[in-house]
Amino acid sequence: MAPTIELDGLEVQLGGRTILRSLTGVLDGRAIGLLGPNGAGKSTLINTILGFHTPSEGSVRVLGLDSRRDGKALRALVGYMPETDAFIAKMSGVRFVQYMAELSGLPTDQAMERAHEAFVYVGLGEARYRMVGTYSLGMKQLTKLAQAIAHGLRLLILDEPTNGLDPPARKRLLELICEIREASDICLLLSSHLLRDVEETCDQVLILRDGRIASICNLAEERRTKRKFLEMETCGAEPAFASALQGLGCECALFGNGRMKVVLPDAVEIRDVYKVAAERGVQIRRMNQRRDSLEDIFLNAMEQSGGSNGRI
Amino acid sequence: MAVYKRRYRPYHGPLTPERSRFLVLTRYAFAGLFRSRVFVLLFVLALVPTLFFAAYIFLANNSAVQQFLQFHVAGGFAVENKFFFTLTMIQTQLAFLLNCWVCPTLVAGDLVNGALPLFLSRPFSRPEYVLGKCAVIALLLSVVTWVPGLILFSLQAGLAEGGWTWSHLWMVVPIVCCSAVWISMLSLISLAVSAWVKLRIVATGVIFCAFLVPAGLGAIFNTILGTYWGSLLNFSELFRLILVKGFRLESELVGRAGLPQVPLFAAWIMMILVCVLSLYILDARLQAREVVRG
Repeated sequence: MAPTIELDGLEVQLGGRTILRSLTGVLDGRAIGLLGPNGAGKSTLINTILGFHTPSEGSVRVLGLDSRRDGKALRALVGYMPETDAFIAKMSGVRFVQYMAELSGLPTDQAMERAHEAFVYVGLGEARYRMVGTYSLGMKQLTKLAQAIAHGLRLLILDEPTNGLDPPARKRLLELICEIREASDICLLLSSHLLRDVEETCDQVLILRDGRIASICNLAEERRTKRKFLEMETCGAEPAFASALQGLGCECALFGNGRMKVVLPDAVEIRDVYKVAAERGVQIRRMNQRRDSLEDIFLNAMEQSGGSNGRI
Repeated sequence: MAVYKRRYRPYHGPLTPERSRFLVLTRYAFAGLFRSRVFVLLFVLALVPTLFFAAYIFLANNSAVQQFLQFHVAGGFAVENKFFFTLTMIQTQLAFLLNCWVCPTLVAGDLVNGALPLFLSRPFSRPEYVLGKCAVIALLLSVVTWVPGLILFSLQAGLAEGGWTWSHLWMVVPIVCCSAVWISMLSLISLAVSAWVKLRIVATGVIFCAFLVPAGLGAIFNTILGTYWGSLLNFSELFRLILVKGFRLESELVGRAGLPQVPLFAAWIMMILVCVLSLYILDARLQAREVVRG
C-alpha cells in the first residue's frame, strides 16, 4: 500500500521567495500532524498537496498519486477543511454541504442524504436549515468539517481545525476527528499550532522550520520509548541517595541545593524511590513525574534544526 | 424527520461523470437566481419587447386586422433585416442590464467568504469553475437575445408568404452569432470585474462603469482629436458595427451620426483583446490562495 505522503525534494517558490526547501521524506502514519512555527510552510505544504501551488522542483505524492500529474484524481480522494472562513453565506448549511458533495461527484439524491448525515454527525442537525452566514464560529468550523467528510474521501486534511473554538467545542471537534479516524480507513493530515491537538489525534508528526523538515517522528513509538523521569527537590544525604538510586538502575543528575533529576527504568516504580529515600533518611520535598511530551520533541527539533527561538 | 446513525462511514456509491460536473454550478446558480424576486422581475421585463415585436409581425402579416384597426403605414409593414437588427440591438442592451444584476451574484458569493478553495479542493478545476458560471450567463442571456430572435423569425416564416423564409434564411446566422459574440464578451468582462471587486453591489456599479466610462473617454478622444479611433473604447458601438455588417445594413446606416467609422477588423481585434484581458484577470483573481509578492 502506498504511503500517505511522500515528499521527494519538494521545493515551492511563491512570489519570488522559496517557501519549501528540498523536503524529502515518507509519512506513512494514519494520522499525521503538521507542526511548525508561523511561516514554517505548513499551509504551503497543504496547498501544494491540493494542487493550489505548483512545486518548482521535486514532487509530493499522496496515496501514490502525484499532486501535479494526478491532481484531479488526488483531490477526489481528499476532504479539506481550510483554516480560514470558507462558506456561502446565503445558503442553508445542509444545502451548502450537498452542493460541495455534488461537486465531488455524488449524484443529487445521494449528495442530499450524505449532507444530512454529515450534518447530524457533526452535531449540527438542528441548525442545518439555517443560513451558514448566521452560524457562530464553532458552527462554521463544524460545517467546514461536514463538507469535508460528505464524500468518499481517503485523506482528511484539517488546517488549524480548532482555531477560535472554546474548550468544549474544541474537545468535541477533536473527538469527532478521532472517531472519523477510528471508524474508517481514512488518513488524517492535521496542521495545528496546538501541540496538544496533534498529540491527541496523531500518530506521526512532521515538524517544519523555515521551509525545511526539522523532524519526522513516530509519536506512538516515541511514547513507547521515551522514558519517564522525576524532577525532585530533596533534603538530606543527596549523593548517597543518588548512588542508591543508581544501584536500582536509575540515571541521576544533581543540580545542587537538593535538586535532582532521575530517569527511571521501566522496572523501577516511584514507591521504590520513596523506599530508598526513607532508608537513607532523605526528605523528598517536591516530586514531579514527567514523560517526554510532544512539546519536548518539538523544542528539540527546533533547537537541532538551527535555533533556539522555535517557539509557537 | 429521518433518523441517521451517528457513526461515520465514507461514501462508496456511484459518481457522476466528470465532464458534466461543471453543470452543478449552473444548476445551483439558477436555483439561487430564481429565488430572487428582483431577478424574476428583470427577467420578465427583458422579454416584454419581444411581445411587441411579435405583435408587430402578426399585424404585418394580417391585412384583415390592419383594416379593422385602420392602420396606414407608408410603404407597408416590413419584416426585413432592419426589423431583426433592431430587435437584436434592443434585446442585447436588455441582456446587458440583466447581466449587470446577475453576474456579481454568481461570483461574489463564492469569493467574499472564501468558498473558492472548497470548490478547487475537489476534482474540479478553475476553467471548469469559469465554464460553469459562464454557462449560467450564456443560457440566461440566450433566452433574452437570440432565442426570441429565432422564435420571431420562425413566427414570421410561418405567417409570411411567397418564399420569405428562404430569401431571409441567412439572417439566422447574425441573429445567433452576433448575440453569441455579445454574450461571450459580456460574460467574460462581468465575471472578471466580479472576481476582481468581490462585493456584489460594487461589482454591479463597476460593470456599468466598465462599459460607460471607456465609451465616454472614447467620445472625448474623438471630439478633441477629430478621429474615430476613440470608438474602439465603446464596446456597444463595436458590437453595433458587427451587427450592422452581420445584417447587411451598411448602405443604410453608414454615414449616420453615431455609427463608428472604425474598420470591422479593428472592432473584432478590440473585442478579442478585451476578452483576453478578462481571461487574464480571471486567471489572476480566481486563485484558491492568493500569493503576496515581494
